[in-house]
Amino acid sequence: MTLTTEAPGATPAEAPSAIPSFQVTMRLRRFNPESDTEPRWENHTLTMHGTDRVLDALHKIKWEIDGSLTFRRSCAHGICGSDAMRINGRNRLACKTLLKDLPLKKPITVEPIKGLAVQKDLVVDMEPFYAAYKSIMPFLITTGNDPSRERRQSPADRERFDDTTKCILCAACTTSCPVYWSDGQYFGPQAIVGAHRFIFDSRDEGAEQRLEILNDREGVWRCRTTFNCTDACPRGIEVTKAIQEVKQALLFRRV
Amino acid sequence: MTDPSTIERHSYDVLVVGAGGAGLRAAIAAHDAGAKVAIICKSLLGKAHTVMAEGGAAAAMGNVYSEDNWRVHFRDTMRGGKMLNHWRMAQLHAQEAPDRIHELEDWGALFDRTPDGLISQRDFGGHRYARLAHVGDRTGLELIRTLQQRAVALGIDVYMECTVTKLFQEGGRITGAFGYWRESGRFIVFEAPTVVLATGGIGKSYKVTSNSWEYTGDGHALALEAGASLVNMEFVQFHPTGMVWPPSVKGILVTESVRGDGGVLRNSEGRRFMFDYIPEFFKSETADNEAEADRWYDDKTNNRRPPELLPRDEVARAINAEVKAGRGSPHGGVFLDIASRRSAEYIQRRLPSMYHQFKELADVDITAEPMEVGPTCHYVMGGVAVDPDTEESTVTGLYAAGEVAGGMHGANRLGGNSLSDLLVFGRRAGIAAAAAATAAPSERVSISDDDVTAAADAALAPFERQGGENPYSVQQDLQDIMHRLVGIIRRADEMQQALSELEQLKERSAQLSVEGHRQYNPGWHLALDLHNMLRVSECIAKAALERTESRGGHTRDDYPATEDDWGTVNLHCVLDDDAVSVRRETLPEMPDELRELFEEK
Repeated sequence: MTLTTEAPGATPAEAPSAIPSFQVTMRLRRFNPESDTEPRWENHTLTMHGTDRVLDALHKIKWEIDGSLTFRRSCAHGICGSDAMRINGRNRLACKTLLKDLPLKKPITVEPIKGLAVQKDLVVDMEPFYAAYKSIMPFLITTGNDPSRERRQSPADRERFDDTTKCILCAACTTSCPVYWSDGQYFGPQAIVGAHRFIFDSRDEGAEQRLEILNDREGVWRCRTTFNCTDACPRGIEVTKAIQEVKQALLFRRV
Repeated sequence: MTDPSTIERHSYDVLVVGAGGAGLRAAIAAHDAGAKVAIICKSLLGKAHTVMAEGGAAAAMGNVYSEDNWRVHFRDTMRGGKMLNHWRMAQLHAQEAPDRIHELEDWGALFDRTPDGLISQRDFGGHRYARLAHVGDRTGLELIRTLQQRAVALGIDVYMECTVTKLFQEGGRITGAFGYWRESGRFIVFEAPTVVLATGGIGKSYKVTSNSWEYTGDGHALALEAGASLVNMEFVQFHPTGMVWPPSVKGILVTESVRGDGGVLRNSEGRRFMFDYIPEFFKSETADNEAEADRWYDDKTNNRRPPELLPRDEVARAINAEVKAGRGSPHGGVFLDIASRRSAEYIQRRLPSMYHQFKELADVDITAEPMEVGPTCHYVMGGVAVDPDTEESTVTGLYAAGEVAGGMHGANRLGGNSLSDLLVFGRRAGIAAAAAATAAPSERVSISDDDVTAAADAALAPFERQGGENPYSVQQDLQDIMHRLVGIIRRADEMQQALSELEQLKERSAQLSVEGHRQYNPGWHLALDLHNMLRVSECIAKAALERTESRGGHTRDDYPATEDDWGTVNLHCVLDDDAVSVRRETLPEMPDELRELFEEK
């Protein structure tokens, strides 16, 4: 199915007169469990503007052409991590991917992230992802008395694990990992990032327990260092490096 | 017809609706108090609007300025709210916020630190001292993650992507809630003697907003329909600095930290125009020249605050006036300049998210050029009227905390007071609900099949109609009406116009139809959300029409002055025969020992 939609009259205040507009074909992977036995492709050709993002194109289709198009999004600027999808074969956030940065001569393909069961259209079942996240005990583990006010932490100690605290649980890394695609038991990169965030926190005393979990057959050793996860992370977290640091910590049992 | 016996049912002591900061904190508190608790959330866990908060959580910990204490914070909050806040909420908030931050730290939250390793605190508008505990400009993300992790550690039940459409009552008490799973479209019934609403705000009723899609006023509408009253609904905060360009991201927030960290506002003539807009009320504490304002960043004791850090309502109105006078930026905002005032390294370290946001979405390097910014609908001060100590509404068993509750912020909220509000009142609501639920277990009432059937039929109504309008077009018209006629500057005739247009929208929304099936059907979800958005919009327009003065987040073109008589009046919205009616109530009187805090200087 190919539909062509013209932009309805934009309001004068927002008239993007200076912004170049162009035609773009969005090639969406769709699946409706109530009527489809297999996912199918659907094309929509739209007039979009140079500053629009993939999310804007999806909204345009949903609001003006097909109200049943289903995808997740919340904050729409890269903080909540709801709209990770596979765009032209790469995991990205739809709200942070500008159309003009993609090759517009060919259709832009948008598919659900891989390795998790598709529920409808671009929505996948996140339950296995959350289960992996929970399995590494993503909370501060301490012994002894609670501090009366606050624990001190030097700016240098705080900096040590800054990178992995930026995670937004979007699953872009985990669902870009070839090992995760073929082995549903593997924790996946996000869970290891989540563990790293606590293992290298100077206040945490649960490193041994977490390392033991990740030493499992389906733990860090399954990582084949393909760097897909690092490329996929919309927050720029050095995921593969974090995984390597966890491996090092396991080898030398020293954090 | 839905057979009620086939519907999934669960029983809890405390049901928390919403999983942002307030909901998570309430659930943790209720769990710790021994209650059986569940959290229901519309989106996935950890995606709630709290995640977007950037600047920090205000708490008078005194880590940076030892002169700071709860009295100063209380005074700042009340003055920022134009004295219309419920004094007791403002007091509890200021007193308890430091403990709530320390507790978050104890649970593992990451904070930026002082050289001594203490939690660092940053400057924000309306706060006399540097007071916001923060981590870069992603404080909300860390706050929600820490609470989420705590909830995981405690094993609290979470129902994700589940929406509540109705509260059940029996004899004036809450007995539970009705909802649907977004994924399957199947219904679910919760039996619970207490419900804590923590559903956030209403921003999606406006065209230009910093709010995410969840903000459709669900809790406000649920409370109203259960018989509770909403207070201060005329006060909607337009954050002064949202992105104005490009159009696809118009409204997205530019954190106040940019100004707290040294950024200034300029008009098209390059003038720091905020010096022209210092109101009498804040004259004594605001610098009247650039030299003093610039010295303040390093020496707060001997200098007054820059006018860029006046409360948000003042700054938003000033920007609006500059643009109207023809001194705006090319895309209809003003310039926010930090590039000429701080080093590129400093900006990237202090404001990494802002740096990337502008680089990626607007192709602007904020370390080299100014940003273009303008007001964006950000927060509703109004909400469910609650008892300050327990957060219980006038309906027994119904509690509200966070943005959905009213009273705490009066006519205008100070930046940084939202995250601390979530923690302080989320905890209080959880404790009080747990105590009420576990005190009288024998009084549990089961929910009747008739009530369940009625709720199911109401939810399914959009499927029953054929050939009606698509809900997206009604939503767009609603956003346009609220933006145009009940926006930042208001007039009686325009608001009357808005109310008559809202009536038409109500009729159109009653005729909506949705296509397809119940499984993950976004059109259906929006049709149900629209009902709430229309209710809330009616409250805002009616209360705004009633208040014939200008104060805080409510500016009347036809009544520009702030009137003393109105300074002791709260407006309450209640549902009367399916229409919103507004009544006046006298503000509770502050005790003398607190009143004295306002008499210095």
